[in-house]
Amino acid sequence: MFIAGANSPIKNTDYRVVLPFYAYAALAFLVATILMMCNVSAFTMHHFNEKALAITHTMALGWGTMMILGASHQLFPVMIEGKLHSNILAYLSFIFGAIGIPMLVYAFYMFDFGIIAQTGAVLVNLAVISYLSNLTISILKAKKHNVHAISAFTAVIWLLVTTFVGLLLVYNFQTPIFTQASVHYLSLHAHIGIVGWFLLMIIGVGARLIPMFLISKYENQKTLWWVYGLINIGLVSFIITFVYGANQMLSLISVALIAAAVILFGRFIYKAYQKRIRKKVDEQVKTSMLSVALLGIPLVIIMGIIAIFSTLANQQFVTLYGFTIFFGWITAIILGMTFKTLPFIVWNKVYHHVAGLGKTPNPKELFKNNIFVANVISYLLGFAILSFGIINTNIIALNFGAALLLLNALLYNINVFTILFHQSKLK
Amino acid sequence: MNVATNNELKSTIALSGLYHVIDPEIGLNIVDLGLVYEIQFKEDEHLITVVMTLTTQFCPMGESIVDATKQAMQETFLDYEIKVELIFVPAWSPAMISEEGNAFLNG
Repeated sequence: MFIAGANSPIKNTDYRVVLPFYAYAALAFLVATILMMCNVSAFTMHHFNEKALAITHTMALGWGTMMILGASHQLFPVMIEGKLHSNILAYLSFIFGAIGIPMLVYAFYMFDFGIIAQTGAVLVNLAVISYLSNLTISILKAKKHNVHAISAFTAVIWLLVTTFVGLLLVYNFQTPIFTQASVHYLSLHAHIGIVGWFLLMIIGVGARLIPMFLISKYENQKTLWWVYGLINIGLVSFIITFVYGANQMLSLISVALIAAAVILFGRFIYKAYQKRIRKKVDEQVKTSMLSVALLGIPLVIIMGIIAIFSTLANQQFVTLYGFTIFFGWITAIILGMTFKTLPFIVWNKVYHHVAGLGKTPNPKELFKNNIFVANVISYLLGFAILSFGIINTNIIALNFGAALLLLNALLYNINVFTILFHQSKLK
Repeated sequence: MNVATNNELKSTIALSGLYHVIDPEIGLNIVDLGLVYEIQFKEDEHLITVVMTLTTQFCPMGESIVDATKQAMQETFLDYEIKVELIFVPAWSPAMISEEGNAFLNG
């Protein structure tokens, strides 16, 4: 059965759609670490403070979401074995997000929920709506609807729920929409985003990419469907528990369901690792696999907070919980996967027309591996030291950890922009 | 490695050229990777058809690998028209990697 001839090869998403997201996310990561360096005291207060809100949203929207939006415009067609419906919607998604996110972050930093915050929140929602529309039409046209694609698609619906609740919360500061103050709904907004958007999307994409990069024989769609079901049931039960103000201990059931999903996913990745054909695993895939292990830290903390420490005295654990999510698991997988995707996109852009005509460099040669290693070392040290600083409200550790994470972001940006500005080196 | 052909001699020559086409992600040539299924020669039309696959249908490097395959064949068979057909049934699996390929990946 012939699927495609060489004269009509399958077209990837245009690199011009994808690359701006990578550049934007890299810069947002740098901005987040600068904000953190300048405001380490934010980690010693109640987590609902203007600086922490600004840093969290720079990380969640500017870094995590923009990076995932960019990469998924490239990867979603791989998962559905179809084409991205519209480049224009992708550009719109970028433009709305690129303008809306700094407005929102600035407003949080100034603790001003007026017109700038409201406009920023509306723009972020428009970015998500553009993205969701693009994915919906792409998936409807596609031939394959596997667990990876369904996970990614469901994750984007949760993202829209998150940003819409966020929009309402911004308005609620000035005009009461909800029965209680916005701070009350913070954990609802945050967890729909963390579990529904980030966890589901990263698991959906990671379960496809990590075995592919390992060249693994392992496949288990059934496990991945279980993971999908457990995460969604866990999240819905959390929302119900929250809305109906049930006993906090009931939240443990939701956490247990999500923890079970994470354990199953970890087992899936471990089995894929065991059944890999490529024995030598590169640093980028190792970093991505490390992120799966890092997922366990926030889960242990949240269980601890609910079961043991459910008092205000343990605000530091709440801060640590948020930190380990955004600077731990999410950052680790992006650090690794950036250098498994971006070099190939740029390689295709620069060398596609000369493939086979001469000796082209390997995509891995588009960035400096020693900088990547230094990047990971500074990241791991910074993450560990800053975590220590948060638990002990130790300003020296917080400053030192933040400085290391800033160094990590600088090294990351050097490598990302080296790739983005790569010129042909045809040998 | 088991490549179907209607001309063993020319197929061997063709494969020697295709050994230089490398999957940039894996670092292994497309022959040992098991991507080349068939090489057919139509002498009366001066046409060579390479039937091959990719590790995944929407492999981000797919276009480049197909172009490089065409170029490598054209360099070996100057007077022939080269046609590369991509098929995805049967789908590629790691079991298609040759012994040499496995040795390379385990090395």
